[in-house]
Amino acid sequence: MNSNPPAQSYNYDLKQTLAERRLVGFWRMLTGFRLLYVGAVAFLGASALFGMASFFLIRYFVDEALQKPDLHNVLPVVALGFVGLALLQGTFSFLSGRLTAQTAEGIALRLRNYMFDHIQHLTFAYHDKMQTGELIQRCTSDVDTMRRFFSEQAIGVGRIAILFTVNFAALLTLHVGLALLSVIVIPPIVIASLYFFRRVSKAWEAYQEQDAKLSTTLQENLSGVRVVKAFARQDYERNKFEGDNAEKFQRGKRFMMMHSGFWPITDIICGAQIIGGYFVAALLVMDGTITVGTYLAYAGLLMNIINPIRNLGRLIVQMSTGMVSFDRVSEIIRQEREPLTEGVVQPTGSLRGEVVFENVTFEYEPDTPVLKDISFRVEPGQTVALLGSTGSGKTSVVSLLPRFYDYKDGSIRIDGVELRDYPRQYLRRQIGIVEQEPFLFSRTIRENITYGVGREVSDDEVIAAARAAAVHDVIMTFPDGYNTLVGERGVTLSGGQKQRVVLARTLLKDPRILILDDATSSVDAETEDSIRGALLRLMQGRTSFVIAHRIQTVMHADLILVFDKGHIIQRGTHAELLAQGGMYRRVYELQSRIEDELEKEIASVGLPL
Amino acid sequence: MSDFHYEEEDFQGKFDGGTFVRILQQVKPYWRRVLFFVIAVGIVSLLDGVFTYLNKLIIDEGILANNQARLLEIMGYYGALILVQAVMVFAFIYLCGILGQRVMYDLRKKVFNHLQSLSFSYFDRTPVGWIMSRVTSDTERMAELVTWNLLDIAWSVINIGVALFFMATIHWQLTLIVLVLIPVLFVVAVWFKTKILVEFRQVRKLNSKITGTYNENITGVRVVKALNREKENLKEFDGLTSSMYRSAYRAAWLSALFLPVVQLLTALAVGAVVWYGGLQIELGGLSIGSIQAFIAYITFMMWPVQEMARVYAEMQQAIASAERFFSLLDSKPDVVDKPGAISAPSMRGDIEFENVTFYYQPEKPVLTNFSLKVKAGETIALVGPTGGGKSTIVNLVSRFYEPKEGVIRINGRDYTEYTMSAIQSRLGVVLQTPHLFSGTVRENIRYGRLDATDAEIEEAAKLAGAHDFILALEKGYDEAVGEGGVLLSVGQKQLVSLARAILAQPDIFIMDEATSSVDTLTEALIQQGMENVMKNSTSFVIAHRLSTIRRADRILVIENGGISEMGSHAELMRHKGHYYNLYMTQFRHDLEAKYDPFANGKNGTNGHSSNGAKKPEEQVA
Repeated sequence: MNSNPPAQSYNYDLKQTLAERRLVGFWRMLTGFRLLYVGAVAFLGASALFGMASFFLIRYFVDEALQKPDLHNVLPVVALGFVGLALLQGTFSFLSGRLTAQTAEGIALRLRNYMFDHIQHLTFAYHDKMQTGELIQRCTSDVDTMRRFFSEQAIGVGRIAILFTVNFAALLTLHVGLALLSVIVIPPIVIASLYFFRRVSKAWEAYQEQDAKLSTTLQENLSGVRVVKAFARQDYERNKFEGDNAEKFQRGKRFMMMHSGFWPITDIICGAQIIGGYFVAALLVMDGTITVGTYLAYAGLLMNIINPIRNLGRLIVQMSTGMVSFDRVSEIIRQEREPLTEGVVQPTGSLRGEVVFENVTFEYEPDTPVLKDISFRVEPGQTVALLGSTGSGKTSVVSLLPRFYDYKDGSIRIDGVELRDYPRQYLRRQIGIVEQEPFLFSRTIRENITYGVGREVSDDEVIAAARAAAVHDVIMTFPDGYNTLVGERGVTLSGGQKQRVVLARTLLKDPRILILDDATSSVDAETEDSIRGALLRLMQGRTSFVIAHRIQTVMHADLILVFDKGHIIQRGTHAELLAQGGMYRRVYELQSRIEDELEKEIASVGLPL
Repeated sequence: MSDFHYEEEDFQGKFDGGTFVRILQQVKPYWRRVLFFVIAVGIVSLLDGVFTYLNKLIIDEGILANNQARLLEIMGYYGALILVQAVMVFAFIYLCGILGQRVMYDLRKKVFNHLQSLSFSYFDRTPVGWIMSRVTSDTERMAELVTWNLLDIAWSVINIGVALFFMATIHWQLTLIVLVLIPVLFVVAVWFKTKILVEFRQVRKLNSKITGTYNENITGVRVVKALNREKENLKEFDGLTSSMYRSAYRAAWLSALFLPVVQLLTALAVGAVVWYGGLQIELGGLSIGSIQAFIAYITFMMWPVQEMARVYAEMQQAIASAERFFSLLDSKPDVVDKPGAISAPSMRGDIEFENVTFYYQPEKPVLTNFSLKVKAGETIALVGPTGGGKSTIVNLVSRFYEPKEGVIRINGRDYTEYTMSAIQSRLGVVLQTPHLFSGTVRENIRYGRLDATDAEIEEAAKLAGAHDFILALEKGYDEAVGEGGVLLSVGQKQLVSLARAILAQPDIFIMDEATSSVDTLTEALIQQGMENVMKNSTSFVIAHRLSTIRRADRILVIENGGISEMGSHAELMRHKGHYYNLYMTQFRHDLEAKYDPFANGKNGTNGHSSNGAKKPEEQVA
């Protein structure tokens, strides 16, 4: 069994599946698999034909074979006939199942990969407003619902339709009147099952809803076990759980009661059809219109029509959930990707690192500018410090450089070329970012250090980078060293340790422009020193943007920009700004005030009581 | 559920009779219902066999005998029996379906109630996700086993029995063919079902991995983009989805092959019957109706055999589920009320630690020979490095754990002589990371004292400094706080949990101060609230804020499982030891933060933060 994904699972832009009408969308979703899927349906038809044929073999057996004088010779042939028909029916049904699986799983694979890749190419603006849970839900359960549409529902409806057509056609050849008589109950059964399954799926949703609620209650109880115990609220919690639990029982009961009504009622209707059919057919045999063999064939064919029909409603109702999922998935597919390699210039070498902002204006949402008229100039290798309160625009300035967002007005030039003209990928390769809250992946420490470096890295290089980032010694204290898994399943690193792992990664990446976004604010005093050393090494020879809100961090910068409400309100070196007075000076002077207060504090307790 | 990383576990459970019996005991109170649905499904199954026999009679005694009266009579039976069967179908779905829900309900209730009685140590070492799976999916599998699976077995066994009986009455030699067929069918079916199950398990495992990968790539999208990792990530992800394809495809492949194989086996038997039976007809030993009946019985035989194989394959899973479920149900709390423990309305009084030793693992003692006397109404601040034993001390006071050696006395009496609820109902606790429950603000505060009036709740909120922000909420006290309180800020959650503790009017107050900073206004409100509750209780505070420390009656520096320094703020400062250094570092740090004009609004709502990672959302189950 060759179980590798078919080649057509790749290389198709699912954007082309977007359509006004959902069925058209589904049809386009089948691109590359249409032949397989049509084949699956055709084989299903073949299988139904051979299944039907075995009833004609029964007729032949009863009406003719048994009458033949050389019965001894005919019987083995008839017996083999049954086996042969079963073999053919089975083979085709297997082939159909195989093709269906290839189609459905292939489409699911393509969709999963596409969604994954699509999402990592969507803009920051999109990610900022979408909730992670919502995205995950669409990529997993909605994709799975669509997979089932192809693997179970569409093919299931097709199967019922084929069985009906084939067997009904066969009935017609037996006796037209009898055939017509035999399908009287089908319309009411189809309608009843549609009605029933629509209602039952509502009851099921209500049940699932309560299930989610019960899970929440349980989860809150478990994660809040300290609170529960501290207030001795065990009985209260039991009652609360009991309420939700009982409600789930009630809804489950309701769901079951609906089933206990539907099945016996349809049993009776179908039973009436069967008896009626048999009775009329028997009378026809008795008055010589049809043969005994025909009667037997009829009895078998009738069952093949009636039994599957009762499930038609279920499949159709489930198909409608597939449609809803398709809409939810399409909503994501419709979003535009951020082009990574497009650019007017296609530089190959490294940047020098000269950055010029000229009257830059930027807004996340229309008419609420977060940067207004920003201009400054940085020479290669210089350090710029951005100072200001939260929301003053510091982070927005540096988010523009890797083209995470596009500025609205003004001009940003790196090495004399307009930022918009660079391909995003190139810029991001040239820019290293160390953020306030470093994000590590649940991989080994080594993989985290080499993450995104974009080339093979030797162990020596990794260790050298870790040493330079002052994290090597910490890593060596873990039992698995560099192969220690980070995150939920592995070790939990402190903020400072994570920060240094990111520093090591950035060292390996060796960017020309460096962005340090409040990189030391969330680590304690002790580690701050070792990080600061590592940071200074990292900044050596690179154009660096340092965001901070403490003077000590920024005083050695070549240029200090003080931000307020999206404007630069002061600029210059430390010395210049001190001479200028204003905000910067006020901040600086607080330093000495702190020393004064410390002395006072000591004096206050130093006095004998 | 938030734990989408929680992987489906492997279970290669062997059939364990003891566990099986124990599962059966879960339906013991409902044995009548079980008996009824087994009878109902038995009748359904019996009638299925009878219908086939009636079909034979229609042919042999009606059609071939050309006897219309007899035909009508048989049709009459047929119709009546269909009605009977419909009633029985109703009965078994109703009885079995509702019983299944009932058993799940019972099991969940039982295990939840048990969970409430388990000690802290259990929750310390057991992940929430693991417990969740026991309460949700394992209960479902167990209930399934004693209801639908039991029903399927009953239906299958009776169906095969009835078919064999009728076949034997028609022609016993031909029946032998069928007797050969059954075990062959069964073995083949079990083989397939087990294989398919293994693949499905693999699919589930991969599915949770794929979800986890999505989650990580979306939460870390900023880093992914900044480092140009898109191509490589897709390649890795394709590895996962391709494995998923292979497993899902193999499962589908096996399923698609299964039915044809079974049909082929039955066709062989049908062929044999036709061959041998045809000869018998010639000899007059068999009727056409009989052959038809044989064919019908044989072709139908594959359904009950399949059902039995499915149940057999699933049963191992259910047993494994049950084993884990019972292991949870059997775990014993290690902190329990002593026999004859007394209840007392108040826990006011001196608290004394005498030579207390405590450890989580014997080789790593956390407290050794710890002694301390605390006067009623005193406020104790605990300071010192992480892992020094501060939390252990408050956990012991709360009796979440008990001393391994030594005694803790409240009001002069060994506190294990009180019932746990006597102590804990007089306790007020505020945690470092406040935990709220879904529901309204009011409900969350009322958690402190369930019979509190609305006026008392507002009073507590005022004392906690929470009143003003609550009124500013759209629905005030009736505002929903969201799952785990997500709709409130950290500072607001702290205020609400403080109000909750104040409402409890505790004799013993325990607070683990948050390390994360909140804005200055909230900070001041929290301080005020703490002072209000500490006035009337004996308090233990794991302190991080200088204002709290300074206000304490006594400060304990806890290091390496013991007290390294103890005294008032002034005393310890004059001592110029560890406390002095700690205090001065913190003092400088605080001042810097306080005077830093750029630090304002650091934890306020900053309109558009593109900074840092997105938080993973809770997935709707």
